[in-house]
Order: sequence, then C-alpha cells, then structure tokens
Amino acid sequence: MIDDDIKTGGAGTAAAAISRGEAPETEGEELIRRRRFLQAGIGVGIALTVGGISILSVTSSLRPAPTVTPETEPPAPGDKLVFAEDQSHVVVPDDLQLAAAPKTVYAMDPASKVVKSGTDNNLALVSRFDPSSLSADTKPHAAAGVVAYSAICTHLCCMVSLWDAQHQWLHCPCHHAEYDPRNGAKVMAGPAPRALPVLPLKIADGQLTVAAGFLTLVGCNS
Amino acid sequence: MLKWFDERVYLKRFYNKFLRKAFPVHHSFFLGEITLFSFVTLVLTGIFLSINFEPSIRMITEGGQKLPAAYASVRFIDSLPFGMVIRSIHHWAANVMIAAAFLHMIRILITGAYKKPREINWILGICLLGFSIFAAFTGYSLPFDAFSATATKIGYGIASSLPIVGRWFAGVFFGGQFPTEHSIPRLNAIHILWLPLILGVFIVGHVLIMYLQKHTQPRYAEKVAPGKILGVPFFPQQALIMAILFSFFVGVVAILAAVFIANPIQVFGPPGPTTPEVKPEWYFLWIYGFLQMIPASWKFSVIGIEFGPEFLGLVVPILVVILGFIFPFLDVSRRKFRYLELPSRFPWRTGAAMGVIGFFAASTLIAYRHDLGISMALSWVIVIGTPLLFTAITAGIIRLAYGPKERRLPVPPAAVQVQRGG
Repeated sequence: MIDDDIKTGGAGTAAAAISRGEAPETEGEELIRRRRFLQAGIGVGIALTVGGISILSVTSSLRPAPTVTPETEPPAPGDKLVFAEDQSHVVVPDDLQLAAAPKTVYAMDPASKVVKSGTDNNLALVSRFDPSSLSADTKPHAAAGVVAYSAICTHLCCMVSLWDAQHQWLHCPCHHAEYDPRNGAKVMAGPAPRALPVLPLKIADGQLTVAAGFLTLVGCNS
Repeated sequence: MLKWFDERVYLKRFYNKFLRKAFPVHHSFFLGEITLFSFVTLVLTGIFLSINFEPSIRMITEGGQKLPAAYASVRFIDSLPFGMVIRSIHHWAANVMIAAAFLHMIRILITGAYKKPREINWILGICLLGFSIFAAFTGYSLPFDAFSATATKIGYGIASSLPIVGRWFAGVFFGGQFPTEHSIPRLNAIHILWLPLILGVFIVGHVLIMYLQKHTQPRYAEKVAPGKILGVPFFPQQALIMAILFSFFVGVVAILAAVFIANPIQVFGPPGPTTPEVKPEWYFLWIYGFLQMIPASWKFSVIGIEFGPEFLGLVVPILVVILGFIFPFLDVSRRKFRYLELPSRFPWRTGAAMGVIGFFAASTLIAYRHDLGISMALSWVIVIGTPLLFTAITAGIIRLAYGPKERRLPVPPAAVQVQRGG
C-alpha cells in the first residue's frame, strides 16, 4: 500500500513538473493537439449518432405496431351482421324488437364468411325503432328503422352494454355515459366527449347489410 | 457450532454491532412492519402463482370452451390444493399492504416524523406507496376475466388521455391498445419482475436510512431517559415481537382470504361482448369519484395539444402527489428532529391530516354518486366541504380538549432541547 502511494505520488509530481515547465509549443506540437481534438470530436459525434439511432429504434419498437388480420379489419360496405352471442345467425330486421334493448353484433365478410370479431372496436349495437321517431340526420343511415352504432364508449373504451329503458338511451356501465340512439347516439348525460360512431346500414336480400364503414373514429381519446 | 461460525464470519462482532440495535416501542410503529410483512407474503405467494400462470391471451379450448390462456391458467391455479386460498391471500395481502402503508404515512404526518433529517425517507415512502398501487393495478389485470379486462381497459383509457406523451406511454405500458396479444405478457413482466425488484430496492433503502438515522423516539422516552436511545434490542426481543406479529398477520390474512375469496373469476367469466358493472378497487375509488365530477364539456387545447376531461380529472390527484413530495421541505426549522411530536400539540397540522383523509373519503363517496343520486353540484360541495369541515372539527376538538392544559405546561427553552438532542 505505502509503496503504491509513493509511486503514484512520484509519477504525479513528475507530470506536474513537465506541465509546469511550459516549454513554448512548437508549431508541429500545436498541429498535433488540434488534430487530436478534431479526431476526438469526430469520434464522439459518430458514437452519439450511432447510439442515438439505436436507442431511438429500440424505444420506437416498445410500442407494438397494430397488426391487421381478416378478423380485425373494420366493417366494410356489403358486410352482413351476425349476433356476437350466436355468430352463425345473420341478422334480419325482424330479429329485433321495436324500441327494445340493443343487441351486440359483428360484421361478417359475405364472401369469406370471416366474422370480424378479432377486436372490440368492431363490436356494434343495433336497435330497431319506428322510422318516424328517428331524427332527420339519423334516418339516412338507418335501414327499416334499424340503427347501428359502435359499442365502444367514447369516454374510456368500455362497452356500452346497458339500456336505460326509462329514457330509451344507451347506457355505459363504467361511468354512466348515456347516448340517444334515435338521435345519432348523441351524448345525453355523463362524461362522454362525443357521440358513438355511426355504422350506416342498408337492406340487401332482406338482411341487414353495412352501407359504409364507421363514420367517425372508433374508441376513446381519438 | 456457533463457535465454528464465529471464527469464520465474526458472528459476535456482527451481533454486537448490528443485532443489538435499540428499537423504540410504540404500537403505532408497527404499521410500517405490517407493510413489510405484506410484501414478504406477496412475494412468497407470488412465487407459487407465477410458476403456474400462463401470461397470454391466446385462445385455447378447454372442456369444449374457448378461453384465453391466462384465464384458463388461473382456473388451473384455483383447482390446485390450496390454490384458491393462496391466490386469495395474495389479493388480501396487497390490500393490507396499501392500507398499512397509507396509515403508516398518516402516522408519520401527524407526529412530525417527516421533518429534517427524514425528508429522503418520506419521499421514498411516497414512491413505495405509488409503486405498490401500480403493482396492485398490474396484478389485477393478469387473470383476464371480464372484470379485470374492463378495469384494465379503463386504466388504458386514462393513461392515454395524458397530453402529448399519453398515447405513446399507454402503448408501451399496455402493449398497444389494450387488449392486444402483447398486453398480458408485458403487464406480467412488469408485475412479477420489475415492480417487485424496484419495491425491494426501495424497501432496503427505506429501512437502511431509518437504521442509519435511528428511529424517532416516542414522546415518553424524553421523560424516561432524556438524550438517550430508548428501546428493546433487535435480537432477540424485537425479533420475537416481529415474529409474533408476522404470525398474527398471516393468520388474519389467511382467515380473510378463506372467508372472502378474491375475484371469483369462474363467476365473472372470460371477457365477452358486454361490460360488467365495474367499480375499481377501493384505493382507486377516490380518483374514480373525482373523474365522475368532471363534465364532458371541460376541455381546452393549447397550441394544438388537447387537454380532455379525463386529464383535468387527473390534475387534482397529481397535485396531491406533488404536494406530498414537497411537504417535508415546507418545514423550515433547522433543528434535527428526534422526539415525536404529540398530534394534540399541533391542532392545525393534525387537522390538515384529517382533512386529507376527509378528501379521500368524500371523493370515494362520490364514486357512488350515481347509485346514491347525488347531483353534480352537491358532489362539488361535498368534496370541497368535507376536508375543510374535517380540518376545522379536528382542530376545534384538540383546542377544546388539550388547549388549556397544554398552555399550563411550561415549554422547555430551545437551548435545553438542543443539548439533549446532541
């Protein structure tokens, strides 16, 4: 231990003496110093760039990219509707009682028979009303009095699965947002920021058919 | 045998130096220990659960039923001998941990033990409480039944409502828009590895700092042996007390767990196309209640960045946490704190602590606003009024009960206290 201390102490004083000597730098020495500085600068620059790009690429992959499969594709025009609870049953207007609690449905591609139940965002609510009771801007999207809306609450993405029979409103069980299905699923009460997205319907071969995809973005905070 | 070890690992020196540490005795000092016992119980039961759990929402067919693998594996755990009780103990120990940590914090608050030199431990303690709640939330998501999936989805919605970083942060934490195939593996890794690791490190730091700074002395110690550390040695006396308390703790939690089975996932069923009527766990109810008081119309945008009602609902909870962090620095006395202060000597501080409890209680009550038919305006009156009322009543009662008597006691001059403290 003691020996070591003496050695380092000795080396330190020697180095200090050299630097204190301050012999006037020759031009060559100064050039070497500059070159060293530039080399170090370039080296640090390259290291930071490579390291930064690596870190960025890793952090960006932390949030997985959404994958789309036939089951998770959004409803498209021409799709049929099937009940979420019984996916072999294609919905016809007569399956639905007038002004009753809504049913949950998924879209089904009629060609491939794939039911698009791979994501909650494809879940829709259908209810049937007297066509004359629908508001003017709801009517064009309804078929035989049947209206369809996304089942995903625009507040915090719960499923709007309750029916407020007194007001005839769709009711979200999580934070009690309420939507009026006769009037474009506009927010009637509670914390939801916007109306439920509309799924326009038409009738083809007597079956409920998707006329166009969801008119607004499905989900919360979007 | 002991001699053999002593010659090799210097047992006697270790014993004299560390295990004779004096532990002051007061029943309110056990709250921190109970928190620690909960953590130990959680780790032990967690080992059993983690080796049987399959973190995946891959659909598997079991008995003709298509089920997510995570849900099916929790059913498997329930079918093992004592499996359901162990899962239930895990659940109840988590609840006890959060409750005990909170009460421990209130004890520190009303006795002034957060003051210099213990500010670091106060901050570590708040972090520990935060991480515990975080751990409870991630654990709740894992069985992937109808309830837990809904609750976690709401958590995703709230996290992604944070301005600017929200969507990215929620995407990283929940593995995309919950639920995706990445969600449960990711939450599982956070729950069974990273959070226990972080909690473990913070607990070691918390205890080590307490050990170095020495535990605060109860008030009576100043009268019995002024200027000296009063307490029982860690080994064997305090260790025995801890062993007894730990056994008692395990017994109580086991009875709770056996009588009230946690999250009966068989009843809830796997996630389906409907949302069950879900309320968050009790330690989230105050945030839930607060969110219910923010109307949907409360939103604004600054330079293109949207601040929605969910974010505004989070502002107050975030402020509560920030206030907690800076609280010990509001005390400006330079003196090193040694003896606990009597809550009755500080009517306004004790009152404020009761006000904090009042705020949590009132916000929790508002969580049932819809069931109780409380209007929005009345909610605001309750949430603002209750803390003020609690504070005033507590301070008033203390003034009435202790005021005249305290005033008759001569306050010892500061110089004498410094001498004793040194």
